[in-house]
Amino acid sequence: MRHVVQVGDMKIGIDGDVVVTHALGSCLGFMLYDPVARVGGLLHAMLPLSRINPQKAEANPYMFVDTGVVRLFNEIYNRGGKKSRLVAKAAGCGRPIGNNEMFKIGERNYTVLKKLLWKNNILLDAEAVGGTVSRTVHFYISSGKIIIKTGQQETEL
Amino acid sequence: MKPGRMDKIISDVKSFPSMSNMPVKILKLIDDPQSSAAKIEELLRYDPGITANILKLTNSAYFGLSSRIGSVRQAIVLLGWRHLGKLVVASCVNAILDKPVPGYDLPAGELWRHSIAVSVAAELLAKELGISANDEIFTAALLHDLGKLVLANYVREDLQAIETAAGEGIPFHAAERRVLGTDHAEIGARLLKSWSFPLSLVKAVRWHHDPDAAKEPRAITDLVHVANMLCLMIGIGVGREGLRYEPSQAAAKRLGLKTRQLEFVASQTLQWANELSEVFEAGQANVGSPPATGAE
Repeated sequence: MRHVVQVGDMKIGIDGDVVVTHALGSCLGFMLYDPVARVGGLLHAMLPLSRINPQKAEANPYMFVDTGVVRLFNEIYNRGGKKSRLVAKAAGCGRPIGNNEMFKIGERNYTVLKKLLWKNNILLDAEAVGGTVSRTVHFYISSGKIIIKTGQQETEL
Repeated sequence: MKPGRMDKIISDVKSFPSMSNMPVKILKLIDDPQSSAAKIEELLRYDPGITANILKLTNSAYFGLSSRIGSVRQAIVLLGWRHLGKLVVASCVNAILDKPVPGYDLPAGELWRHSIAVSVAAELLAKELGISANDEIFTAALLHDLGKLVLANYVREDLQAIETAAGEGIPFHAAERRVLGTDHAEIGARLLKSWSFPLSLVKAVRWHHDPDAAKEPRAITDLVHVANMLCLMIGIGVGREGLRYEPSQAAAKRLGLKTRQLEFVASQTLQWANELSEVFEAGQANVGSPPATGAE
């Protein structure tokens, strides 16, 4: 089955599924996978911290990196995922040209993710982050393979 | 630049299918102190498609009205004339902006979603910053990328050269200008000027990527600029050029914009943009289908 993850959402896939998200600009795409349980999830979070709009975070925790990442881990654990086997990868977190701090939402998304993972002793296994490109992610749950598309280019993460 | 290219683009601007002159007429009526709800109703009576769209929009969650609206007159009374102007423009341009945009690699519907999202974000920014909202902000934001529809095929033809120029680190619209002699912001402004839109709106479209180059800074231009950057960053209508545009430090400063306000607006934009663009998606089947004649 093919699941498409919209901005500010998360989808879980099981063996045989492909989970897709389009147009990752400064948003974070975070992929979590257990190769033994063959379960994986893809989060497409827009903003770093839920405290910017607690009401929205209540209604939709996946809009924010801090609440979305925690929720994704819990969903994977609920479906048989084990922390020791988890493979974590990140994509997106891009930025426009120039050095305007205010518009570095992508970098702030990435920083919050790294802090969360570091606190929980988890390392990113791979990442395709930063730059000015828009990325599309295809996450194949049977194999754990992740393909990143930017324009006409495809690379495996 | 290829010889004769600019002449060809200008001739395309002149022959670009004009949208209904309804938006300009309505914006004029709304500005006219002698005007009345009856005059607006009279004007809209002859366009049932637009009237249907206005009622659908008025009844959408975006406006949060408690009772269902069944006539344009009721819509004017409850929403006010300013809101009505926006709805008329949105109803008129939906069909134009809904098309796929080659060159920029935007599939059908994506430029429309982007345009609605930038309009919503620009209004939310104005509200957050305490800038008095007027219908021109929404309309300028809605039409800011109109020029892409004219330039699309030229961009596609010269994509390699434009990408090479943009690869040097200049913004994408500057790369368009270097290769084509113009850019989508300038072309959009020319179109709107030829359709007699108000000058401040034309200027907001003209300088939406480069607000510091405008002769006089204006809040409307800065708002459209910031809202556009924000929507691209959150992936609404981001095309082949990705995020290869430069947000202006000075525009953010002129507006007095803070990071938390920008992020708060981002968190609010998505839902309303989806809400409004879906009103039209849901309505297309009805508006576009032929009337039942009972002849079959």
